[in-house]
Amino acid sequence: MATATRPNTTTYELKLALPLALFFCAFFLAPLAILFFVSLHTDPSMSKMGVAQYWKFLSDPFSIGVLLRTLWIGVEVSVLCLLLGLPMAWIYMRASGWMQSVLMLVVLLPLLTSVVVRTFAWIVILGRQGIVNSTLFALGFIETPLRLLYTESGMIVALAQVQMPLMVLPLVTALSRLDPNLLDASAALGAGQWRTFSKVVLPLTLPGIIAGCLLTYAASITAFITQTLVGGGQMLFMPMYIYQQSSTLNNWPFAAAISIIFLCAVLAVVSLFNALGRLSSGYTHS
Amino acid sequence: MSFNRRTLLTASLTMGAMHAFPGLSYAQARRLVFATFTGSWEEAHKDVLVPAFRKANADAEITLDPMLSVDQIAKVKAALTNPPIDVMLHDPGPALVAIDQGLVEPFPIAKSAHYKDLIPDAQVETGPAPFFQVVGITYNPEKVKTPPTSWEDIWKPEFKGRVGITNLNSTLGTGWLVEIARMRGGSEANVDAGFKAIEDLRPNLGAVASNPGALATLYQQGQVDIGPGNFNAIQILKARGVPVEFVAPKEGAIAFKTTMHIVKNSPNIEMATKLIDAALSPEVQTKLMESPYLIVPTNTKVKMSGEIAKVLAKDHADMKAKFKFQDWKKINEQRAGWIEKFNRDIKI
Repeated sequence: MATATRPNTTTYELKLALPLALFFCAFFLAPLAILFFVSLHTDPSMSKMGVAQYWKFLSDPFSIGVLLRTLWIGVEVSVLCLLLGLPMAWIYMRASGWMQSVLMLVVLLPLLTSVVVRTFAWIVILGRQGIVNSTLFALGFIETPLRLLYTESGMIVALAQVQMPLMVLPLVTALSRLDPNLLDASAALGAGQWRTFSKVVLPLTLPGIIAGCLLTYAASITAFITQTLVGGGQMLFMPMYIYQQSSTLNNWPFAAAISIIFLCAVLAVVSLFNALGRLSSGYTHS
Repeated sequence: MSFNRRTLLTASLTMGAMHAFPGLSYAQARRLVFATFTGSWEEAHKDVLVPAFRKANADAEITLDPMLSVDQIAKVKAALTNPPIDVMLHDPGPALVAIDQGLVEPFPIAKSAHYKDLIPDAQVETGPAPFFQVVGITYNPEKVKTPPTSWEDIWKPEFKGRVGITNLNSTLGTGWLVEIARMRGGSEANVDAGFKAIEDLRPNLGAVASNPGALATLYQQGQVDIGPGNFNAIQILKARGVPVEFVAPKEGAIAFKTTMHIVKNSPNIEMATKLIDAALSPEVQTKLMESPYLIVPTNTKVKMSGEIAKVLAKDHADMKAKFKFQDWKKINEQRAGWIEKFNRDIKI
């Protein structure tokens, strides 16, 4: 009797999502459809339809190289973020109350400044007369300045710092859900610290790790500003490639085709991450 | 000039929208809209050109809408029957794109008081050039003790790892490639010699920046000490205390016309003409020649003075002798190929 009079909660929820759905259709799906339509033209003046732009990209080893390099940059940045972010999140979990607030401020601070400002700071740090070079010089390790700015490694370090909050925040959330008793139990059963980490902590925080990697990955491969300002003009990645074709050359169909290909490639990587996530949830429950 | 994902998106979307909804337009009378560039151009136009225009035309209403050339073209194309912009401002490359795509109304020369006073290079029927941009050698006087005199100086072994250039996305980068190709027997139609020269420059290359703005910050950081640079941009840096100097090389400074165009189907053609005419006037150009704007005048009635007279040209005859204009119609024909070649071949 009681269950029958209860309002149906399912339809209620769907109606609530309606404004967002409309917003999503108008400002995401419709533009995406237009982008796809533009990409289906064979010439820059958009007079003939065809898939020539896709063929041009996919049959060109150079363009494929740009795509793969861009996707690889994302992997490198995500791994670096993870290696630096995990200890950070761990320290945060173990810290006392006031220390936690300080650490959270440190983690969030980059989000409160614009990406452009953060990236410019890296130009100052990595320059010939920058902090790194002048320190190494003062310590007598080098005699001539190292070239750090406009190199791939410099760019990866800068990207990792710029995107770091996106990794640390999900990790902190995942770690805070971890029951401290489990660690004690693991220790009581004779596991060492590494064993506890690899058999208890890591599997249980895997959803957080995957979420963090996904966010940093997506953010770093599309980070046009950091890629161009710290990476320079001679390293070509997908965002710059799209910019070149659309803005400098006015070749919108090709730019649109590159964008669609890039989107599909990123979606493929995201599905891979999601598959990993499903695997991990199976792992923790077994 | 800055650029972000959003502007790119707007550009492609408007392009698509034009095809998806061909009848899309909104008809209404509105005030004159002038799409200038962002940054120092906007400042200069807001401070000098707009007040002069309003004073001469009974306080006529005008809106400055600063945006990149590509956005101007995208916006006009998306609403060709009732464009949201009346006057566009373009570098030579985008200007030709706009003209080719039929977005430009010819300038009514007969109605202009100042057009006839412009130097011949600035008299363009599709839209005159009230301003020139000039590219020469930029260097850091604290590090480069002997001031350079020729583009060839950049190849000297003493500048190992200290030369900064931009890629071909910018007018600056492309214009410079054409000039060094020309010095080695090439031309706007054939820049192979220029690519060879960049290849030879490789040991000296400290940075290939993605745009002129990024290149300028590298001088500030001591990352590079010498390279091609835009006169205005360098003067702005210098005024802020950055140790940079500009010299016009003995081969001649590379000059670009920055042109103003009346947009096709503009509802304000009369006022648009008056705005462009104000920009051509000796009064406005004299003021814009002074610090901090330092924009090179194109009206022969303007007497050159200040930094421009000192560094670039003392009068218009001198300017004619020293400035090298390039054929952007020819450059545009092959630019896509050059950018592709630069993408593939230039690695440092």
